Amino acid sequence: MAAFEELVARHRDKIYARAYSMMRNEEEAVDLSQEAWVKGWQRLRQFQGESSFGTWITRIVINLCLDQLRKQKRQRTESIEAMSEESGGVERQMPVVTVNPTAGLERGELRQRIDRALGQLSYEHRTVLVLHEFEEMEYKEIARTMGCSIGTVMSRLFYARRKLAVLLADLKKQDSV
Amino acid sequence: MDYDAQLRLQAFLDGELAEAEASEVTDWLARDREAAALLEELRHTCEALRGIEAGIRLPESREFFWSKVEREIQRLEAPAPKPAPVPLFALLRRCLVPATAVALLIIAGVVLTRPTGPSGLTPAAEIETALADSGAFTYRDYSAGTTLVWLSYPADNEVAEDDETDIVE
Repeated sequence: MAAFEELVARHRDKIYARAYSMMRNEEEAVDLSQEAWVKGWQRLRQFQGESSFGTWITRIVINLCLDQLRKQKRQRTESIEAMSEESGGVERQMPVVTVNPTAGLERGELRQRIDRALGQLSYEHRTVLVLHEFEEMEYKEIARTMGCSIGTVMSRLFYARRKLAVLLADLKKQDSV
Repeated sequence: MDYDAQLRLQAFLDGELAEAEASEVTDWLARDREAAALLEELRHTCEALRGIEAGIRLPESREFFWSKVEREIQRLEAPAPKPAPVPLFALLRRCLVPATAVALLIIAGVVLTRPTGPSGLTPAAEIETALADSGAFTYRDYSAGTTLVWLSYPADNEVAEDDETDIVE
């Protein structure tokens, strides 16, 4: 148990950060990261060492977050944003953001802006982005994790990136006014 | 630029294209400024996100968080509490109470459904009252093989009729 406590101490921030990136809610992220550690202990014998322990425990928290997000989605109506994506792909009409909207920002401010922008994405778009950018998963791996096609992953990732660029540009504009 | 071309550009950025296809996109990017601008925008977004999670910290102390995890693990691993042994008296009482209740119900059922006459006569005995003539009673005792008939004179209805006749007169 002492060795496991050491593992928790070493990886707890990363696990929490991943849960927070997906859930955008501090309380839920704490609860889910705690649940991930408990599950990790229960499944410790299944850990074969094919990947690092950090990767293994991160996948557990990702799956828990996905389950939670799906449950939440079932409970509330579809967002207008998700509907507009389904009905024709607004990202195709978005003008290209030519100036880097985050250039020259301090780390703290950048994090704050990205936080706000990520919070405006639907969970499907945010999750694809998190899995690709933070977890460095390939398209097919994301598709397997989320239970959708590679085409859907590509489409969601494209929309999420474009939408994020527009949101960050808007924040930059607001800041300069 | 059509949607498939946009997605191909993204796949190029993400290193998801085969070598031959990637070199085709490189040639295309050299010719198409719109495509190059879009690629740049996508690249900026990726760069902005890089390392953004590094600053996020669990808002609970190491000790507190671990104590919660440990407590939950111990709760889940604790063997399920065995049911306490039942004392013999309690076991007997548990069996005897329902059995007694059932027995009482059966006895009550038998007593209540038993056909007895209004005056405590045995089932073998009965009293008949002729409806046509309310002044006649018949008593039959099958066990004794006896039949008794009471006739009261004048019968009640006869008296009534007589009274009525008197009034008419």
